[in-house]
Amino acid sequence: MIINPKKISYFVLFLLCFSCTKPIDMDQLDDTSLDTSYLFTLIHLNLNAPKFLDDLNQEIPVTSDMVSIANLDDLYPYLKRAEFKVNTANSFNRNFTLNILFYDKDQKLIYTLKPAIIVPANSSELTHVLEIPESDIDVIFNTQYFGMEMSLWNSTTGDVIEVTDDYEFVLKSSVKLYFNFRKA
Amino acid sequence: MRKLVILSSFLCSFFISAQNKQVLYDFAELPQTLLLNPAVDFQGKFHIGIPGLSQISLHAGFSGFSAYDLLADNNVGINDKIRDIYQSIGKSEFVSFNQQLELLNIGYRRSNNDYVSFGYYQELDVLAKFPKDMIDLYYEGNTVLNRRYSVDKLAAQAELLGVFHVGISRKVGEFTRFGGRIKIYSSVASASTKRNSGAFYTENGSDNIYRQHLSNIDLLLETSGVQLPSDVELDQSYVQSQFLFGGNLGLGLDFGFTYQPEDQWEITGSIQDLGFIYYTKNVESYRIKGSYHLDGFQLDFDPNTPDTYWSDLKDDFEERIVMDTIQANYMNFRPTKLNGSLTYSFGRKRLDDCTFANRVTPYTHKVGAHLFSRLNVVHSYFAATLFYERRFGKTFSTKVTYTADPFSYANVGFGISARAGAFNIYAITDNLLGLRNVYNMQSINMQFGMNFIFGAY
Repeated sequence: MIINPKKISYFVLFLLCFSCTKPIDMDQLDDTSLDTSYLFTLIHLNLNAPKFLDDLNQEIPVTSDMVSIANLDDLYPYLKRAEFKVNTANSFNRNFTLNILFYDKDQKLIYTLKPAIIVPANSSELTHVLEIPESDIDVIFNTQYFGMEMSLWNSTTGDVIEVTDDYEFVLKSSVKLYFNFRKA
Repeated sequence: MRKLVILSSFLCSFFISAQNKQVLYDFAELPQTLLLNPAVDFQGKFHIGIPGLSQISLHAGFSGFSAYDLLADNNVGINDKIRDIYQSIGKSEFVSFNQQLELLNIGYRRSNNDYVSFGYYQELDVLAKFPKDMIDLYYEGNTVLNRRYSVDKLAAQAELLGVFHVGISRKVGEFTRFGGRIKIYSSVASASTKRNSGAFYTENGSDNIYRQHLSNIDLLLETSGVQLPSDVELDQSYVQSQFLFGGNLGLGLDFGFTYQPEDQWEITGSIQDLGFIYYTKNVESYRIKGSYHLDGFQLDFDPNTPDTYWSDLKDDFEERIVMDTIQANYMNFRPTKLNGSLTYSFGRKRLDDCTFANRVTPYTHKVGAHLFSRLNVVHSYFAATLFYERRFGKTFSTKVTYTADPFSYANVGFGISARAGAFNIYAITDNLLGLRNVYNMQSINMQFGMNFIFGAY
């Protein structure tokens, strides 16, 4: 008998004894890194003339609003930078300065996105891209409120905004968050 | 503590179990082959498996990649390996575990030559499918507009249960045998999520730059035996009672046949676990359903209005995407397994005075093909096997298999069965080629057991 049970037993024993492994390196998992980014829709607004007038129909030079945001602590320390995209359209015959602001839990201003956005008078849709760089990204984790402040420039012609004006200021925005997932 | 006991039960079961038993199927007339095809012509008068040791089996597999693919110590950076793995994985990779610990297996031949067998085994079955869309969303982000990240293929099922079974193998014609087995399932714990639907996507918006959608989300997770009433003491006696008909009960059937169109040819087929479990005890299910789209926050710059944007959005979201906890009974079908084989026997036909006159005496060589399929709502898959079986006298049988399945196209298996008097011991494993580098194995399938077989060839 060419093949007999004893030979088979030896063969199986050989297989089991000489099963082997090629070298692996578990430590390389420490270097695992994944760069990815997520897009989120953000704030939009559509403001007409009365929003820039007080009860006496006097112009309000600065107006602002804020929104509380979700706690983002879980993203620490993976969030690397945040890129804000702001589209504006302004049919007012006045310039605006737009600031994007970050407040802490006590509504104290802790960060202003630079540069401020200048929205020219009578401008159609413009796109502005601003960024919180990696060096400042910690501000996100201290932020409880996110807001916008709009400053109405003085008129160069002496015109004032009337409550009946049909001017419109339109703003749309989004944020792209860039992550680097790795061993913390 | 409860979670610890349940986890321990799962883990104890996990390390002792199996799935496609391509080597065991129709091998060496082992009593355990009756569990794969109840029509098998078991060659003996009586058998009893050694309790707790008659079958210990394990199957573990992941169709996506191996540990070596990820961790090989070569000159390729870990992040390049992850990218390569990411690009190579298919649309619905799956991970599966199956275990069975046989606690009782007894059979005897009746005077009319029927062979009756019965027993009890414990089983853990886990199958989870990962939709590629979810991996894409994590790996690539969501910056591609109108790309729909679907949860349609998100599905998983885990079940820990005890199975009591009784079966019979009967010769119904000169060349034909039929067999059947009835099973009573007692589920200890179960969790399943199937038939999920919905998608997340981002598109250009009108009110804002982008509009983000959760479209037609419908997710359902059904559990039983996981959330227990506070008055239940989760100890060993409780778990034992759940295994022994105290759990959620179900009913299943196995059917099989063997047919010999010619002396040396044989066709076999079987269907296993054609059944269901009806869950009525300790049931808790969770459903998330609805559609939602988000344009962002619309600020109104009204100093007289307090900031309620976030709470308004949250309320609106919870109104449109509803999460319910449901305590309704439900039913799950068991994963059904199909087996079929065609064999050709040849070589010296061993005759023995003790052989029953009306029984087929085996040849020393057998070659054939075996097809296996697992059918389930969560995931179905298919495996094809070629095999060669060799007998060495009364005492020793071996079988070599070559299988193509979702884990490998070159899975070589091997089984040995030996007898000393009435004592029988067998050991089976597959994926022998994987032994060249254990880290590169994507699946493993092992069985081991001991029986006493009386009145055999």
